[in-house]
Amino acid sequence: MTSNKIENSPTAKINALSDSFKQVLKRGQQYVDLLDQLAQTDDAEELLAAAEKLAEQDLHNAFIDFPQHYQAADYCMLFMGRLLEMHNVTSVTVDENGQHEFVAMIDPLTDASFKFVVSDNGEAAFTEQTQQQPLFYMNLKQRLFQFNNRALVNYFIVYALKKHSDLELRDAIKPLIEFANELADDLNFTINLGILNTANDERFKLQEPNLQLTVIDRLFVKTGETDYMLMNLPQNSGAELLLDQGIKFDLSFDPDDYSQEWAFQVKDPGEQVSFFDILLHYTMVREWYLADRDALAVRSDQLIIADDEDDTDQSAATIPPEPESEPTEEVLSTTAIDEAPEETADDESEAVDDEETPEQKKHDEDD
Amino acid sequence: MASENQDSKAVDVSQEIKSRIETKVKYLQELDQAIDQHRDRDVYRLLDNQRYAKEIEHREQQPNDEGVMSLVDDLADQLSSYLSVNLIKYLGKTYPFFYYEEYQTGHYRIYFGNWWDRRRFGELDVLNVRFSFDQTEYEMLNKSFALARKDKRYNSDRINKISSENDRLQDLIDHQREREEKRQHIQEELKDINSHSGLFESSRNRATREELVAQLQKLEDQETESRTAAQTIKENEQVVLALSKENTILSYEQKSIIDTFGSFEDFELANRNLYADYLKSLADDKDAGKQVNAND
Repeated sequence: MTSNKIENSPTAKINALSDSFKQVLKRGQQYVDLLDQLAQTDDAEELLAAAEKLAEQDLHNAFIDFPQHYQAADYCMLFMGRLLEMHNVTSVTVDENGQHEFVAMIDPLTDASFKFVVSDNGEAAFTEQTQQQPLFYMNLKQRLFQFNNRALVNYFIVYALKKHSDLELRDAIKPLIEFANELADDLNFTINLGILNTANDERFKLQEPNLQLTVIDRLFVKTGETDYMLMNLPQNSGAELLLDQGIKFDLSFDPDDYSQEWAFQVKDPGEQVSFFDILLHYTMVREWYLADRDALAVRSDQLIIADDEDDTDQSAATIPPEPESEPTEEVLSTTAIDEAPEETADDESEAVDDEETPEQKKHDEDD
Repeated sequence: MASENQDSKAVDVSQEIKSRIETKVKYLQELDQAIDQHRDRDVYRLLDNQRYAKEIEHREQQPNDEGVMSLVDDLADQLSSYLSVNLIKYLGKTYPFFYYEEYQTGHYRIYFGNWWDRRRFGELDVLNVRFSFDQTEYEMLNKSFALARKDKRYNSDRINKISSENDRLQDLIDHQREREEKRQHIQEELKDINSHSGLFESSRNRATREELVAQLQKLEDQETESRTAAQTIKENEQVVLALSKENTILSYEQKSIIDTFGSFEDFELANRNLYADYLKSLADDKDAGKQVNAND
């Protein structure tokens, strides 16, 4: 094969073409096999392998084009649908739309449809179509899954609650949590449930490092005409709202930690209530949170490295390090910097600079 | 004779001294034992026999022997600290919403509640088993209970007043453009009228002119005020927040008192009876045990 003479001969040319066809057919056979596997296997590992390979498959060849039928996003959706089906979760329906795209419907959200949006780095964002909110991200190759806290609030708490009851929304979110847990149990995914996590020791740090105590005053005032009480935590380390059935909703910092990072925490006897549930069920807390959302927004922890939204969003690069500049734009700008990693560096320097913090504490104790 | 008289007098005096000292020693011994065995009720009896006789034994006119009682005057702080242990334990059950801080030996500040913001409410007088409430703070609570009967809250009137002031200021900000249009309109009218003025200006013309000038002045005043309105609104909002906080604190306090005592009047009654109720509770504890008072 190294000699020019042989390669230039007609036989060699035909052989080359034939080899190429064989390769393409082989690849086609593999493709069909993977499709079968995705559609039929009852094994989670095989299901993942099929979805992952299909999403990566490059069917293009110099000689033959397979008609491209589905995209990586569709394989992700099929994977999700099949995994839920294997666990008898029936409230999510995956179906093909007119454009050969697989979309999901979640009962009882009759007005919403969901599609995966796959970025170049292989991260698939489960995105609600009317509001364009990416509710969670998953990466099949790296076996990562995480909910997007901001999108969850935007979609369910701000938007969907206008049309649906809190109980309907709780039902709608259930299969998504189940899907995450199935990924963890069956396939060893690293998952981050974000504000849907019900563990009592889960803390959600605020994005803004400094919290004005008047923000908590406003919640206190709101409790004045309810049966709920907002208590002071030991060492003046924050506030605790006493809700029904022993549910406690804290906004506090670790008094032993010099950085004094404020965080939300929900504690309940059965560890069944999440921060999200509190926002969903308690109008008083929800109104308070949304009215001061720029101050109270929860940081999104990053399991998944890059966020393509930030890469493409030009405004993200031009936002100054101090987001406090213009109060009216804060709500808008936080959307863009929500996941910007530069923020964390600022947190520390500001906390160290803040000479008033220990003084303040002392005053409070003296009070 | 004189010296004999002196002698017998001296004997009388020394007798008296001896007897007085015996009383003092006996008093101190009793107190010592009571302290030793933590018989707080006896300690209270020894510290104020008159009150004990009146309120517990219902014997009136039992004067205190100041001569013996003053012996422990310089121990007041320590005795207070000592007696606070059981008293605060008792108060923890009967007044679950009060919190105490021993800011110096035997001296206790009272805090009402441990909610997000709370008030300092005076001091606990342990030796006299009495709350000595801060009168200003107490009066606020008293008044808020009275207002609650009329379905009102302590700062409602002030909050409403400031809120409507803010509405007015917001209105000024919102109507900046209308004012500007009106101003231009008046200025044009004025120009027109001015052209008819002069030495023989009709009185009607002059009246109209003056009226327009006054309107213009009013618009300018409003304009000036609207320039600082945004800042004033912000400041007012802070005041409203502070007043609302005070309302909230008072409503928590009312709620706590009603939950525990049923009404403010019953709360006051309990305060008046605190000494007797507390000492009786100590007696109840003791009756069950061997603590029969040997000194009775």
